[in-house]
Amino acid sequence: MPNSDDKMGGLAVHSIDKANTALIDADNVFWAMTAKNAEGAPFIPRQVLSLYQKQKESLDEEMRQFRFSAELSAVYIDPTDRCNSNCPYCYVPAKMRKNGAQMTKEQLRQVLNKALDYFAGKKRKPVIIFHASEPLLAKDAVFSAIREFKDKFSFGLQTNGLLLEKEDVEFLKEYRVGVGLSLDAPIRSLNNKTRPSAKGGNFDAVIRAIEWFDGYAGLNVISTMTKFNIRSLDKLVRFLHAKKVPCVLFNPVRFTRKHSLKVKPDEQVMTKNFLKAVDTAIELSQGSGRRIIVANFSNVILGIVAPEARRMMCDISPCGGGRCFLTVTASGEMIPCGEFIGLKGSSGGNIFKTGIKEAMESAPFQKIRSRFVEKIAECDICLYRNICGSPCPAELDSTGNMFQKAVFCEFYKAIIKYAFKLIAEGKEKYCFREEGWDNLVYNYQL
Amino acid sequence: MPKREEKRSVKTEAKEKTNTVAYRLKCAKTANGLSHFVMYGDVSKKKTLL
Repeated sequence: MPNSDDKMGGLAVHSIDKANTALIDADNVFWAMTAKNAEGAPFIPRQVLSLYQKQKESLDEEMRQFRFSAELSAVYIDPTDRCNSNCPYCYVPAKMRKNGAQMTKEQLRQVLNKALDYFAGKKRKPVIIFHASEPLLAKDAVFSAIREFKDKFSFGLQTNGLLLEKEDVEFLKEYRVGVGLSLDAPIRSLNNKTRPSAKGGNFDAVIRAIEWFDGYAGLNVISTMTKFNIRSLDKLVRFLHAKKVPCVLFNPVRFTRKHSLKVKPDEQVMTKNFLKAVDTAIELSQGSGRRIIVANFSNVILGIVAPEARRMMCDISPCGGGRCFLTVTASGEMIPCGEFIGLKGSSGGNIFKTGIKEAMESAPFQKIRSRFVEKIAECDICLYRNICGSPCPAELDSTGNMFQKAVFCEFYKAIIKYAFKLIAEGKEKYCFREEGWDNLVYNYQL
Repeated sequence: MPKREEKRSVKTEAKEKTNTVAYRLKCAKTANGLSHFVMYGDVSKKKTLL
């Protein structure tokens, strides 16, 4: 177990598997891995301890900055609350999806101009992501905004694909928009169970779109893991790899809305199949000359080898919600993350009446930023606490107490342990796009 | 690309020398080493995603 290890020179001695032992400082994620001796006992090289002493102070400070700074880099915008699907695990309340607000072109321009004001003077180009419910129901407004603000922001779009036309795909590629397509399974009937539409489901539309995208580097597929699709994850990886999709995310279903419990997968089954999908992606990436990555697993590897370069901010505490990004709903409410939509007391103000700065300073945003693993029983002594981050505060807040460990705690422990094992085997580079791996430089190495 | 080859060989060599692995990487592309959340946006032609 990751919370029951002996300490040596300030480092916890933690068995990864029969062959390898890790030495870990959970606070700053210093780690070293060493092969066990013939008797299976851990062997601690002296140079590990001296490296640790040399690096400890700067790693502590880097981790503190990374975790507790509030530097916004992305804004999610829901241009509409409405949706043309009815996924059984959706966190957007059903009433909103049916009759919710929708921004006009002018309102969307106002929101983007507010974002521009907020980001004025920042070095990095901010990211705008059009997100749930189904943003393409407001396609004209969204595409018009991308055209107008193309030099000011980098854009992303998360869509179920039902309304995507070939010329839309050309447009998105031309403007280098990052696109996430929702697809839960490689089989039509299985996928359409959890991704329904008036005409059956989104399977055909997504496959058509993937073919139009034709290996586009900015494409990813997002798949929600439920009891229905959990045994087909590796098949989905093969299917997507054959269609030149470079990146897939397998998100555990969240229980922010109680109805999602109906599709909850068994945690052990989920873990086993998730890791099988990771292995499949590595095998394909090694053997075919074309990589496919399981991005949320890549993020876990990053959490170990380059914690401050992590891309997805669910796996750190405080999480990225209301700290690195926020969501603007179709009616203009600013909430820490889309997962909070419809949850009482989560709005940091309305963007049509106030600004992003005020939202960042608001009590609901401060509350989310105050949730970190040291305050959570069990997480506070877990060696993986700064790799996992114990997601998700919105999901847990909806049950009345966000200071609880992750619903899928055992899943996160298992995949982090597996990530250590892959690092010990030297396979971690296959979990990244080649150019991504090459973009990282050594801070130190033994 | 010669630069990439060089980098990879350094990483491999370091692992072959010892049974112990310990290293830390950082993102070279940003001033402060932070890249935050760029899963969707930021797809310039030279962009590095994960």
